Amino acid sequence: MSEEAKKNFVGALTARPTSDDQKQAPALNVPPKKVIIKSADMIPDMQKEAVDIAVAAFERYNVEKDVAEQIKKEFDKRHGPTWHCIVGRNFAQYSQLAPAQYYKVGCDVDIQGSYVTHETNHFVYFYLDQKAVLLFKSG
Amino acid sequence: MEGAEEELERRSKFLKSLIQKKKTIEQQEQHDHLQHNNVRVRACDMPLPLQSRAFRCARDLLDSMPPKKLDSKRLALTLKKEFDSSYGPAWHCIVGTSFGSYVTHSLGGFVYFSIDKVYVLLFKTAVEPLDHS
Repeated sequence: MSEEAKKNFVGALTARPTSDDQKQAPALNVPPKKVIIKSADMIPDMQKEAVDIAVAAFERYNVEKDVAEQIKKEFDKRHGPTWHCIVGRNFAQYSQLAPAQYYKVGCDVDIQGSYVTHETNHFVYFYLDQKAVLLFKSG
Repeated sequence: MEGAEEELERRSKFLKSLIQKKKTIEQQEQHDHLQHNNVRVRACDMPLPLQSRAFRCARDLLDSMPPKKLDSKRLALTLKKEFDSSYGPAWHCIVGTSFGSYVTHSLGGFVYFSIDKVYVLLFKTAVEPLDHS
């Protein structure tokens, strides 16, 4: 009796992994990344382009520098030089527009941890899940 | 003739020696300065005077902040403003503990260093007139 009971128990155990695997199959689909545009001085089409390129870059690269490189180079190619890209978790937590102070290239943008001058209409700062992306044109 | 050549060679060696000594002294001073301020240069394309300016500015500001409370934004703002006003626009500064970047900078206008536990990226880009069209 006890031996038979053990066998049945083992059998039950072997059955569960199979059903679990089947259940987990649908869950393997990765949900789309959450996108939050924190601050932008950029036309909507270009914003979407930046996000799409960033999503693709994150899927392809693990190192933040490589992601930044991919985004910057793509924008240099599509929209002319010179773009700059910063990617990371701890260099920006929120953003705000500082009172406009004009240089020849436009106005400053004050972002937690970053302070840059960008050309008018060529600046975007957004979050992809936990990673922040800062992309701007200057020079 | 031989005397003249020997004299020229002697002077040339002396000058080279002087230049080398000066370089060594400058490097040693820079090294001492960095050690004292807990600064480590990670990548650089910038004249020494500008480097020292950045390090001193960062050190002074960090020392004036409450211990263990980093204000990245204020440090970035301060450095950018100081360099914009001292060396002309446009400078950009990114401060934080975890970020990667890829930028194009002007010649002689780039430094990436760590001070205490924070990393600082400071670089300059060319400036062009606004398109008023």
